Amino acid sequence: MYQAWAVFPWGLDSSTTQFFWMWRMLVVAFLLGVGIFTVLWWRWILNTGRDLPQRFSRREEVRRIAVFWGLIGATSVNLYIEASFWPNEDGAFHQTLVRDTAFTVAHIPMFYLFFPLGVTLAVGTYLYGRTRIPAVYGADKGFPWSFFLLISATVTEVAQVAMNEWGHSVNLGNAGAEEFFAVWFHWPFVLYGWLAGGIFALWGETILRLYAIEDEEAADARDTAPAPQPSTSAPV
Amino acid sequence: MATATIDLEALRLREIGERKYKFIDRKWDAMFWITAGFVVGAAANITHLLFAGDWDFWTDWKDRQWWMTITPFATIIIPSALQYIQWRAWRFPTGATYTAVCLFFCTWIGRLVQWKFFINMPINFVWSATWIPAGIITDYVLLKSRSFILTSLIGSATWTMAFWMSNYIMLLPFLQPTKFMDHTLTVADVQGISYIRAQTPEYLRVIEHGSLRTFLQETQYVSLAFGTTLCVFGYWVGQFIGRRLSVWPIFRYLKQY
Repeated sequence: MYQAWAVFPWGLDSSTTQFFWMWRMLVVAFLLGVGIFTVLWWRWILNTGRDLPQRFSRREEVRRIAVFWGLIGATSVNLYIEASFWPNEDGAFHQTLVRDTAFTVAHIPMFYLFFPLGVTLAVGTYLYGRTRIPAVYGADKGFPWSFFLLISATVTEVAQVAMNEWGHSVNLGNAGAEEFFAVWFHWPFVLYGWLAGGIFALWGETILRLYAIEDEEAADARDTAPAPQPSTSAPV
Repeated sequence: MATATIDLEALRLREIGERKYKFIDRKWDAMFWITAGFVVGAAANITHLLFAGDWDFWTDWKDRQWWMTITPFATIIIPSALQYIQWRAWRFPTGATYTAVCLFFCTWIGRLVQWKFFINMPINFVWSATWIPAGIITDYVLLKSRSFILTSLIGSATWTMAFWMSNYIMLLPFLQPTKFMDHTLTVADVQGISYIRAQTPEYLRVIEHGSLRTFLQETQYVSLAFGTTLCVFGYWVGQFIGRRLSVWPIFRYLKQY
């Protein structure tokens, strides 16, 4: 809504003072906001994780897995926003309006809010699993491949922003080169994005853990069930 | 002996189906299928946008040479990965349809919010293609063949053909000839002239040029055949994502630290 309100009056000419205050400063605000949120949230996960009791009930573990799935879901929604919602806007904006800066109104929320937020969410989800679900992500297990792939996807996407904008800056103004090279410069966004396939392994690992908890619960129920009583009725 | 094995398997499956769980219920299913939809749609959409997006953005760029050749390749990748994941996890032959539905929502949110609302282009100029019929048919191929190799060969052909046929119905009205400033053009061409696209293309702009135009109507059949070939390759790229990046990492760990 901010964009719809502020793009046409102040978002098309990057040389104006209004663009500086309305849009460039937004980059600073986003990066600072995400940075502060990241530090506070990760610290909270780690600090509160240290104080948790070593032994906890199965019901508590299931609750933690449910929260973990909520975090995976939030990461999934963020991936949608950074890989579909804003790229659609990017395509619409850049094909119809002339851009004169790498910090366009379509790039600013996509690259400087949701891309870094993806890293925050992926690493934060790992820290949550590492401190709350030791049966799957405990330190004794090692670093999981699933998180390695998901975190790699989010980090390399951020790195790719730099490479992509550098490519545009090299070729912008050289129409023929821009037309050909812009194609290749965008492909790593896709290739790095595929690494986020590791998110399915997170669901797989935790659902298998849920089944293991159910098996333990069933085994306990069998052990504690009263022994069958001999029948007292006379045989017919 | 074989009958006894089948009976035992049926018994085991019935036991699993009827087992009462304490913690697991349908809410977990809902949580998974809904939240996974976002990442699936995003993966399918970004793959489509950056490998073949430009041809799908505008009606006059939905050409007979590149659109139908590159788009099936770009859009089979994620459905193939989901086919593997869902077939492996649940024996559900639904991965391609699920992805196509997620992609439908992602592309249409984009077209309505970004293209219609934000830059005010008419929807009949920027409408998105659909992959849902192609997904249903490709899933049917997996269901009947129970083989990823056969699905890659037959399914890729059906994916490409179904993509073209289901979208050609929507494209056809825009390919009707019309007179414009004393030239014979298509309705889509007139749209392209009427609505100004001021900036250079975002991703690429290689719209139907080259000698294939000389084949006239045959162009689309040549392109479809080549599109099918590329689609087989795309299918196995998707299988790599499903097998190696999504399922293989389950309970696998890097060196302990």
